[in-house]
Amino acid sequence: MRCPTSGILSRQREREQKNPMNPTMTTSPQARRNARPQDPSVLHTYETLIVGAGFAGLGSAIRLRQAGIRDIVILERGHAVGGTWRDNQYPGAACDIPSNLYSYSFAQNPDWSRAYSGSREILSYVEGLVRQYELAPLIRFGQDVIELSFDKASRRWLAKTAAGQTYGARTVVMAQGPLSNASFPDMPGIGSYQGHKIHSARWDHGYDFAGKRVAVIGTGASAIQIIPELVKQAGFVKVFQRTPGWVLPRPDYGTPNWMRALFRRAPAAQAALRQALYAAHESMATGLIWRTPASRMLEQVASLHLRSQVPDTWMRRQLTPDYRIGCKRVLVSNDYYPALRQPNAKLITWPIATLSPRGIRTVEGVEHQADCIVFATGFDVSKTGTPFPIHGLGGRLLSEDWQRGAQAYRSVSVAGYPNLFFTFGPNSGPGHNSALVYMESQIDYIVQGVRLVIEQDLKWLDVQEGAQQRYNAAIQRRLAGTNWNSGCKSWYLTEDGFNGSMYPGFATQYRLQMHRLPQGDYSLVR
Amino acid sequence: MQLDLDRMRDKIKASQWALADIDWDAPGRELVTNDPDLYPKLKAFMADLMWIEHVGARGFAAMAKKTPNDTLREIYTYFHAEEQRHANAEMALMQRWGMLDGEGLPEPNINIRLVVEWLDAYADDMPLSVLGSVIPMLEIALDGALCKFLLETVKDPVCHAAFEKINADEARHLGVDFHVLEMLGHSPVYRQTLQMAGKLIDPRLLIGILAYLPLLNRMRDNLVELGLKEERLYEAIRKYRRVGGTPGGLRNPWFQLISRHGGWMVNRRNRLYHVPVDALVRLTGRIPPRLLPQVPSWVHELTWKPTA
Ligand SMILES: Cc1cc2nc3c(=O)[nH]c(=O)nc-3n(C[C@H](O)[C@H](O)[C@H](O)COP(=O)(O)OP(=O)(O)OC[C@H]3O[C@@H](n4cnc5c(N)ncnc54)[C@H](O)[C@@H]3O)c2cc1C
Ligand SMILES: [Fe+2]
Ligand SMILES: [Fe+2]
Repeated sequence: MRCPTSGILSRQREREQKNPMNPTMTTSPQARRNARPQDPSVLHTYETLIVGAGFAGLGSAIRLRQAGIRDIVILERGHAVGGTWRDNQYPGAACDIPSNLYSYSFAQNPDWSRAYSGSREILSYVEGLVRQYELAPLIRFGQDVIELSFDKASRRWLAKTAAGQTYGARTVVMAQGPLSNASFPDMPGIGSYQGHKIHSARWDHGYDFAGKRVAVIGTGASAIQIIPELVKQAGFVKVFQRTPGWVLPRPDYGTPNWMRALFRRAPAAQAALRQALYAAHESMATGLIWRTPASRMLEQVASLHLRSQVPDTWMRRQLTPDYRIGCKRVLVSNDYYPALRQPNAKLITWPIATLSPRGIRTVEGVEHQADCIVFATGFDVSKTGTPFPIHGLGGRLLSEDWQRGAQAYRSVSVAGYPNLFFTFGPNSGPGHNSALVYMESQIDYIVQGVRLVIEQDLKWLDVQEGAQQRYNAAIQRRLAGTNWNSGCKSWYLTEDGFNGSMYPGFATQYRLQMHRLPQGDYSLVR
Repeated sequence: MQLDLDRMRDKIKASQWALADIDWDAPGRELVTNDPDLYPKLKAFMADLMWIEHVGARGFAAMAKKTPNDTLREIYTYFHAEEQRHANAEMALMQRWGMLDGEGLPEPNINIRLVVEWLDAYADDMPLSVLGSVIPMLEIALDGALCKFLLETVKDPVCHAAFEKINADEARHLGVDFHVLEMLGHSPVYRQTLQMAGKLIDPRLLIGILAYLPLLNRMRDNLVELGLKEERLYEAIRKYRRVGGTPGGLRNPWFQLISRHGGWMVNRRNRLYHVPVDALVRLTGRIPPRLLPQVPSWVHELTWKPTA
């Protein structure tokens, strides 16, 4: 397979060789892996432990090492890097933010083949990062973290894994992914269904769809990418929709060769394109995050898009959302609506009553029989709990602190959980821009925190309760006026409608607030 | 009538059934097919009934778009589908009795066609107060008169099995319908009256009324033809008045209008009402079908087949 990152690889390597902080390991990784110390008293204490080897975990490792933090371990429960892009390999999987923006600014790839690259290409980019920054020795695969606790006496975090191992580290970066846990939804009768079941995030590449009757449950971001592909392959595709989304046209194109050549030779040109894309997405925020004339305009663009692709008024009615644009994730696609109109496809909006041994029974009384059901039903997002128990100072448990909704200071730190840093933490979600833009500024903030702890040899760095409360009061005040809190149900909100997911503002605002870690809001304990 | 909507929604979800739950080939078919007297009349009646269910379904679809309450929206989305299920089940009975020509839909009469056209064009523009007041009337007439009557007339056990399920759904529909009717009456009377006055000169609503009135009279004629005592319809109308006549309901001018209209409709001696409306029935009967647009695509979702 072509390696799309070869260009940056060489550039980066040059830079690294000039870099005095070029990472060298203190102990050989092989030796450390074999040691596997279990007795906490003899446990090696890493400077930083990172949970997860997706974009966030790998990005954190890169930036930490560039900042001089060398003794890093990355625990990854899977057996490959890439997280989201390792898991989401369904047909049609691609990013819906242009690749030039959905990539790290410090590792630009001149070779993206399309405006919106496919999952495999993104995965090769991630793998390229691992090679280029020589991260492989840091990663321990097959290590599923099941518990984190702060040991005050030895002033370090202890991470327990399902394999029965314990790792110790001064600081911890949580990079386990906001959308990394997927399971079949708890639908009535799901246990009775005897056909083949596939989850979009755990694709079964061995299944042959040719001539099959396929049901797709869900019409969110993954579904609208899968459906056009399935309609090409399968005998008949029925799409079960609960709520329609707003769909904007996707300005996709194949990258011409001259552009790649240009980007390779003049990285500044690519940086300029990235800036332009960034600005374009920022301007969408005015319409997507708040109710403004721009929202109305975006809704009109989406309605026109629908009108131009679906002639039937009833079908248009079925596909028209009755909530404001931006309240849920906005979808982008050019081929979703046309796919639904193919003779071997059908949109079904009757509610699902139950699954049965042979298919799906909807409330209008009909059993829609299917050889295979594709669940594009999204992810298990914990908005109140934590992915595994996290014990902080004085025996506190994070899931208890977060019972009524997750809260943090600037999305990264939580009072009572010192030296622990979140990527994609509470209220850090973008609704209109690349997640990686947000991630980069989180990472740079985290680097400042980790450096403080390590370089000043702090016992701990803990955000002050009051600062966290003030921050959250302001966030929640600002959220009240946003489209997310305008009344639609979405995975951004808890059952009680608390929004602990999204950041109410422009990416630029967010980056500004993350620019500097304000030591005054933290307790630095020596 | 106070109702816990969340509990109602859960109950609705827990009470689902499918066409496949009924054995449409069970013995008993000949109880209908061997009765040459009943057969043609029942065929016309079933077609009307099934179309009314379908039209009611579309009404609920419009209500789902109108309500500001999440739970109620979900309930109406279910009711939309459940009315469709009733239409589908009634078609399945017709299929069992050989009343469907080929696989097609029973031919809708012209008044049904007009109501379908109207619903397709305007139902989504009607305020909840209009829809929420008309629907209980239709439902109580169906539940209280038509279905009971049908069960007394038809002995086929499969028909009874199907309507046992349909009626259980309808009991829940009525509960919600009258709860909403009551809620609708809670804003100040003068404001409701003004809004109604404003709406009543809305040509879209007037066209709707013009489509709806002859349909009711035609239905009544078909029923009487089948042997229904008009007294049964009176009972249903009285029930609408009684159940809907809560403090909130009485304050709702639409309720007042509709229950009064119900009184006119069942009283054949009210010539002031029936002479013009019967004339409308005849008049609409003369509309050449080719002048009507194609039926909207939602009509083609009807099916008697338990599996697809
Ligand atoms: C189909 C899809 C398309 C998307 N498209 C876009 C897009 O176009 N633009 C955009 O901005 N965002 C998009 N996103 C959001 C996407 O999740 C983020 O952009 C980003 O990939 C998240 O990276 P991450 O490293 O935080 O998490 P992940 O990529 O999920 O990585 C987390 C890693 O942690 C591991 N892990 C989890 N729990 C544990 C544990 N307990 N112990 C050890 N390891 C663990 C996982 O195995 C995984 O490898 C998309 C998401 C999906 C699902
Ligand atoms: Fe019904
Ligand atoms: Fe009903």
